[in-house]
Amino acid sequence: MIRHLFTLVWNRRRANFLLITEMFLAFVVLFVVGSLLAYYQRNYRTPLGFAYAQVWRVDLDPGTQPQAGRLATVRQVMARLRALPGVVSVGRTSSNTPFSGSFNNTDVGAGKEGKGATRASGFYVEDDLREVFQVPLVAGRWFGRRDDGAALPPAVLTRDLAEQLFPRQSPLGQVVLRSDEQFRVVGVAERFRSDGDLEALRPVFLMRVSPQDTALGEASTLLLRVRPGAGALLERQMRTETLAIAKGWNVGITTLAKQRAAQLKEALTPIGALVLVCVFLVVNVALGLFGVLWQAINQRRAELGVRRAMGATAGGISKQVVGEVLVLTTFGLLLGLLVAVQFPLLGAFDVPAGVYFTAMAAAAAGLYALAVGCALYPSQLAAGIQPAVALREE
Amino acid sequence: MQTSAAPVLQLTDIEKIYQTKTIETVALHRINLTIGRGEFVSIMGPSGCGKSTLLSLMGLLDEPTHGTVAVDGRPVQSYSDKELAGLRNLKIGFVFQSYHLINDLAVLDNVELPLLYRPGLSGKDRRQRALAALDKVGLSARTNHFPSQLSGGQRQRVAIARALAGAPEIILADEPTGNLDSVMGEEIMDLLLGLNREHGTTIVMVTHDEQQALKTQRLIRLFDGSQVG
Ligand SMILES: Nc1ncnc2c1ncn2[C@@H]1O[C@H](COP(=O)(O)OP(=O)(O)O)[C@@H](O)[C@H]1O
Ligand SMILES: [Mg+2]
Repeated sequence: MIRHLFTLVWNRRRANFLLITEMFLAFVVLFVVGSLLAYYQRNYRTPLGFAYAQVWRVDLDPGTQPQAGRLATVRQVMARLRALPGVVSVGRTSSNTPFSGSFNNTDVGAGKEGKGATRASGFYVEDDLREVFQVPLVAGRWFGRRDDGAALPPAVLTRDLAEQLFPRQSPLGQVVLRSDEQFRVVGVAERFRSDGDLEALRPVFLMRVSPQDTALGEASTLLLRVRPGAGALLERQMRTETLAIAKGWNVGITTLAKQRAAQLKEALTPIGALVLVCVFLVVNVALGLFGVLWQAINQRRAELGVRRAMGATAGGISKQVVGEVLVLTTFGLLLGLLVAVQFPLLGAFDVPAGVYFTAMAAAAAGLYALAVGCALYPSQLAAGIQPAVALREE
Repeated sequence: MQTSAAPVLQLTDIEKIYQTKTIETVALHRINLTIGRGEFVSIMGPSGCGKSTLLSLMGLLDEPTHGTVAVDGRPVQSYSDKELAGLRNLKIGFVFQSYHLINDLAVLDNVELPLLYRPGLSGKDRRQRALAALDKVGLSARTNHFPSQLSGGQRQRVAIARALAGAPEIILADEPTGNLDSVMGEEIMDLLLGLNREHGTTIVMVTHDEQQALKTQRLIRLFDGSQVG
């Protein structure tokens, strides 16, 4: 019977051409959107590698206040904040904090010569941010006091960066080169996905900021770990305490959770719009398919009547109709796969092949579901054809 | 082939009324007919007298308005849709007045059609039987043609081959020689006579040809839906 269906579809290829094309296009649309969703979903499910739930960000902007003594003021503010009962720990960092939407790309290479330089996201942290972020280390250690007198500034790499720069050897104690500056690797973290939930995992290079360091520039960004349950009250307290020391400065306080939510919303809006467009296209294909099938059944009443007369059951007729649609779908699907498979083959967009294969499977399943959904009612119509009536027409 | 004492086909008090919105047509009226196993019966009558209607009742393609059709002594109403489909497939070979070939299938695929609905046949079996049937009607050279590439007479012969392919117990033929020239008509008639004689196939044939009707064992005349003589 399957062979018969293929013969029938093949012989009717001229009539079926449009349907196959529609199926092909529907598959491509489903595949593209599916790839995108699979990509984001995969990223979303990858652990961030740090804690953000009770982390707040405080921005201290001196504005037009005198240059001298700014760092001292910041340090005083930090000490005061740390003393608040709601605060666990405080540390300075660069302004590209997680979910902030800003990042700092940097090239890092192995050894003094910086061999095999690779693109990473650079990040400055003070020792206390270990407690704030609670980044689990897979080897070595986090920054600390003992780095104060070191010949080379210390660095912590994420595992992917470490494996790229030092394949099959321990990265600990190795020298790396970043913008003509040498660092010594002291630790390896699993990952540090500060770009956001939907962004791909990428190598990160963490550098230490010592308490006296002025490298972070004028403005200071602080990250704090607060105790669970901290809210508006603590925020007010923090603002008052800060302004009592840093008179005339601008103070901005927000939470990483809020920033994360805002970033997610911003990223999901265009995706949602795309999905909507996709749904619209697919509904159009479905309506077209439904209409064409309905019409085809009416045009083929005599044929279906003959089949009944030759011994097809009503169920057999409806199976045939669905079967034909599935064969058509398969033709469209094969054409679509021909296109889709180019993406993983060419390694397009630096997306792992698994994402594309997941999307192919999902798009294929969606396409078949669509086909069966559209064929169900016409197939019932076909099954209801009375052979004697159908064979008298024409 | 199962044998039973009951007649192959028995029609009792058949009434067939076609009801459309405006008119009611009595296509068959009080038909009582018994077709015995191995009989060759012809049906004659003017156009519109109900011959095709009668044949489609015998072919289990339609149900009578009143009365019963029984196959091997069992009333058709008692069969499920599946059983009916099985009967049509195994027992009956239908030759339609207007051929009703499937235009999207090649000749061979058309002839294979009844075998397609018969479980347990391999593709090779089907092919062989279909080729044999085509050989009988002299169309072995046209197996890969499509119906649109054939003449009316050739299409008629394909339709006959399709009915033969399943080796049915009963062949119901609605003017099977109507579109053939007299020589080809003779050949088809001889073919049917041979099937009837050698295989004991029961045949009911609608014809307009008195000469052909005379070659059959029994002639039923219809007029305006009723049996006359
Ligand atoms: N499906 C139908 N609906 C309405 N009238 C029909 C239908 N089928 C047949 N008839 C009518 O029944 C009568 C018998 O038709 P038919 O059996 O085709 O005659 P024949 O084959 O002897 O020419 C005709 O008057 C025809 O118009
Ligand atoms: Mg007729």
